[in-house]
Amino acid sequence: MARHFGDDWLIPALDPFNESWFTAGKITVQSCDDCGVFQHPPEDVCGSCQGTALSFVECSGEGTVESVAVVHHPVHPGLSDHCPYAIVVVSLDGAPGANAIGNILNRDPGDISIGQRVRAVFEPAKDAKTGADLLIPQWEVV
Amino acid sequence: MHGQAVVAGVGESTYYVRGRSPDSEFQLTCTAIRRAVEDAGLDLAKVDGFVSYMDQRNDPLRLAHALGIDELRWSNTCWAGGGNNAAAAVQLADAAVSGGYADTVVAFRGLAQGQFGRFGRPRGLSNAAQGDMGWKAPYGLLSPAQECALHTARYMHDHGISQEALCDISLACYANAQLNPRALRNGRPLTREEYHESRWIVEPFHLFDCCPENDGAAAIVVTTPERAKDLKKSGVPILACAQGLGPKYGFHAFQEKYLSGMFYGNVGEAIWQRAGVKPSDVDVLQLYENFTGPVMIALAEMGFCEPGEVEAFVANGALEGPNAKLPFNTSGGNIGEAYIHGFELVNEAVRQVRGDSTCQAKDVELSLVVGGPGYAPGSAVLFNRA
Repeated sequence: MARHFGDDWLIPALDPFNESWFTAGKITVQSCDDCGVFQHPPEDVCGSCQGTALSFVECSGEGTVESVAVVHHPVHPGLSDHCPYAIVVVSLDGAPGANAIGNILNRDPGDISIGQRVRAVFEPAKDAKTGADLLIPQWEVV
Repeated sequence: MHGQAVVAGVGESTYYVRGRSPDSEFQLTCTAIRRAVEDAGLDLAKVDGFVSYMDQRNDPLRLAHALGIDELRWSNTCWAGGGNNAAAAVQLADAAVSGGYADTVVAFRGLAQGQFGRFGRPRGLSNAAQGDMGWKAPYGLLSPAQECALHTARYMHDHGISQEALCDISLACYANAQLNPRALRNGRPLTREEYHESRWIVEPFHLFDCCPENDGAAAIVVTTPERAKDLKKSGVPILACAQGLGPKYGFHAFQEKYLSGMFYGNVGEAIWQRAGVKPSDVDVLQLYENFTGPVMIALAEMGFCEPGEVEAFVANGALEGPNAKLPFNTSGGNIGEAYIHGFELVNEAVRQVRGDSTCQAKDVELSLVVGGPGYAPGSAVLFNRA
């Protein structure tokens, strides 16, 4: 499957914090082994109890649209052919408090609204420099 | 007792559309500072401190040389963010003067985006986005307008606020700019119809919800009340300042707890507590509007009204003109006057207390500036009549 903004569009530089999110092929959220709080984006320290034992927990891959902004003005030349497009904030089932940013692949921007239920899909991408394979989480309205 | 330092003078360069300044950014900055010192009736050589914010390029050592300063005793800047630190820069100047570390401190912001690239535009994006941007760029989330739009959209949804609230805020900025010869939107009034017909930048922001990008500089001079006594204009006392570190920043701001709102609440609490006043005591308000949405959220979070009352609070010209229910961004603000990253709001707030604004509110006792938008740390400064 081609990526939402084309296969040449920006990818994340993988690091220990985002590697699970962008490569696992499933929705994972960091959780504190001590107090159980979910935190996204991940950190080295739990923001609730300051514990340092943190793990990535697999979630169901479903969620809810919490906000949507439809972009009409491209701020990057690589997006000129893709406007208008919608950016959504999605709350993640099974990880209370954790929200992700994403796009919705199966609806026109004008047909996306707060409260819609969504399911994760994954866009394959490759980091040409490092050779790393990515599976970038995206969303479809259920 | 805090509140001893005063603003003795304000100054600005000519403001220009982005890229149209015939002067360099450094020249613009020196002009604004020179005019502020002249306005105060002080000797330029006696300035002994500079403060700014947000990666200011015009550094104090270069300024000290160019402006012929005798001795530089205080140079400081506020870290991070954007125009949220506009009022925090005044706080730094106040801290220096009230603490006795320096006695004539200039706070300023100078920018020529035509010469240095656009503020807020994603920089250094290679094929692989790093850190915070790595969570956003793959999804096309790249600009402050888009980030503010996500917060604004959710806030409007939660509190039943319509597009008219954003429109009313923009109309107030444009209307006030018509009274201000310095304003870049002077002579270009805006109607409700034109607002609604304008193109979308990112829903819910139309073109006219967004401030333009400009070149220019603005500055104030902060000094001791003793020194100000002998000056040609009476100084404007700094009654209270606050910086508020919202608990989260960047990508954190989209998490459940923070999505429907911004981080003005703690700045509000701090400024009201320090000054011993309440929102309804404020006579005139300058509130950072890179986009209209954050204004709407700030009004509620700082306690001017309840979230559900925002639309009514700003409706029917309630923010427009000198006789408004709450005179707001009376120079035209970032949207109508010029986007000097919010520092032009500080100059205007001082003018309101002195009584020489182009949109002068009546009997101003308390004049508030709020830096914004929701990036931490936010800041506010409250001026009062001597």
